[in-house]
Amino acid sequence: MTTSILPLTRRALVDSWRGLLGWTLGMAAVVLLYVPLYSSFSGEDAGFEDVIKSLPEGLASTLGFQDLSSGAGYVQATAYGLMGFALIVIAATLWSSAAIAGDEESGSLELTLAHGISRSQVMLERSLAVIVRLVWLAAVVFILVMLLNEPSGVALEPANILAGTLALLGLGILSGSFGLAVGAITGRRAYASAAAAGIALFGYVLNSVANQSADVDWLHNFSPYYWAFGNTPLSDGADWGSLGLIYGISALVLVIGGVVFNRRDVSA
Amino acid sequence: MNYAIHTTALTKRFGSHTALDGMDLAVETGSVFGMIGPNGAGKTTTMRLLLDIIRPTSGRATVLGRSPLEGGAYLRTDIGYLPGELLLEGRVTGRSLLKHYAEISGHVPRGRIDELAERLGLDLTRHVRKLSKGNKQKLGLVQAFMHEPKLLVLDEPTSGLDPLMQQEFLSMVREAQHNGQTVFLSSHMLSEIQSAADQVAVLRNGKIVTVGDVASLRASAVRRVVIDFTDVSADHIRTTLVALPQLDDLTVVDGDIVQVTGTVEGHIDALVKAIAPFHVVDLRVEEQDLESSVINLYANEAKK
Repeated sequence: MTTSILPLTRRALVDSWRGLLGWTLGMAAVVLLYVPLYSSFSGEDAGFEDVIKSLPEGLASTLGFQDLSSGAGYVQATAYGLMGFALIVIAATLWSSAAIAGDEESGSLELTLAHGISRSQVMLERSLAVIVRLVWLAAVVFILVMLLNEPSGVALEPANILAGTLALLGLGILSGSFGLAVGAITGRRAYASAAAAGIALFGYVLNSVANQSADVDWLHNFSPYYWAFGNTPLSDGADWGSLGLIYGISALVLVIGGVVFNRRDVSA
Repeated sequence: MNYAIHTTALTKRFGSHTALDGMDLAVETGSVFGMIGPNGAGKTTTMRLLLDIIRPTSGRATVLGRSPLEGGAYLRTDIGYLPGELLLEGRVTGRSLLKHYAEISGHVPRGRIDELAERLGLDLTRHVRKLSKGNKQKLGLVQAFMHEPKLLVLDEPTSGLDPLMQQEFLSMVREAQHNGQTVFLSSHMLSEIQSAADQVAVLRNGKIVTVGDVASLRASAVRRVVIDFTDVSADHIRTTLVALPQLDDLTVVDGDIVQVTGTVEGHIDALVKAIAPFHVVDLRVEEQDLESSVINLYANEAKK
């Protein structure tokens, strides 16, 4: 049996530290580029509100730019809701599709499974390796926003920064769990990537459509993106029910993936 | 009788393709058992079923007394596996990769990895992805042997190894057998495993065609002979050799040197005696890989 703690998770993390460094820099850049610019956008004389007002109504709401004048609204619209979301989803898609399906397609999963390790443990440890990396990216966001909070003038409550970051992380983990599970079920990297990116895109598009008019407002209910950010965690704090829903679905999807992975043939 | 591997009517289908068709196999504990056959005969499928990487469609397999599925991870710590297509990747050194596999294997004695690497002439400080095919194969052998498992399952273990390393590998197999380990290996060439294996099963189209010890299989194997003569007429040779019942596919090429080719089934004695009166420049007996020779044998029997 395994003679040490989480050998596959440690291996995955050691193997991927270079890539993680790149993602860390990218995520840091998003926060460092957007948040300090708040002071130049905010206030009566900054004129940015006028720019937003001049945009067609649909476009502004599609991009989530309805409330750029408040610090929370600005950080939400830029660092969290747009670029941060995109980066964490792309990272989750790449990592989760590589974790099982990529390894199976390259042919190296077979040798791992031939050792004294169960499929469930492979699923658990590889999932953990993806989640740990996503938590790291979220931590980078949290720490940098905390540091820039006062100097940039966005003036967020630290607890709300945590709430918003947990929502962002939740979306990353949701994508990651879809990628991991579909990869574990099908063994195909393309399907895993499609599932991971697809669930994120689905949530984002549904949210944007629902923003367009009150007639389609009910569509918000089906959008994970709305669950995460619809209740404006950066200004109003955590909505634990929504977070529980996102994290709960992620866990459920991972369990389903693990169960099917346990039963199927692994291809050479 | 105590079997390290025992299968009954083991069958594996992939869609409509039957990769393994009701295989009954018994490998005695402590023996070296070879499995040969052409690509697609079911060798790799058999091994992957034993390791629980794939699951049987029907029939059952017992490995070290347990079914691969029920035995699970614990059973696999007693097995050393070398996959047929060994894909090792990563920006890590051979040593670090082996350490990783050691963490998910049975107990690896201290110094064992270095000892094996030294025997095979493998540099453990090099990055895995930069290794040649042969060196990757050595790394694969080290990870299969390092925890001294009760059962070694080796798919085409000698592929990519030069003849010297093939010899070293064979001595590793003999040592394993001496330690009471069971070795189950496959090859598409009898010659690669004949000096190691006590028993050989020949597979074709997912079925075992025959099981026997190496000597009896060799004796029944079909070999190709090429003989060069001088100072004799082609016709004379032809009339002499045509009379031999063991010799088939006879061709005689005339020239300064008369070259005769043919295939011999069974013992070569009659042929050697028949050509003794002539001036033989060269005599080559080439073993066909057992795949084709045994298949020929069975095809011939079917005709009779």
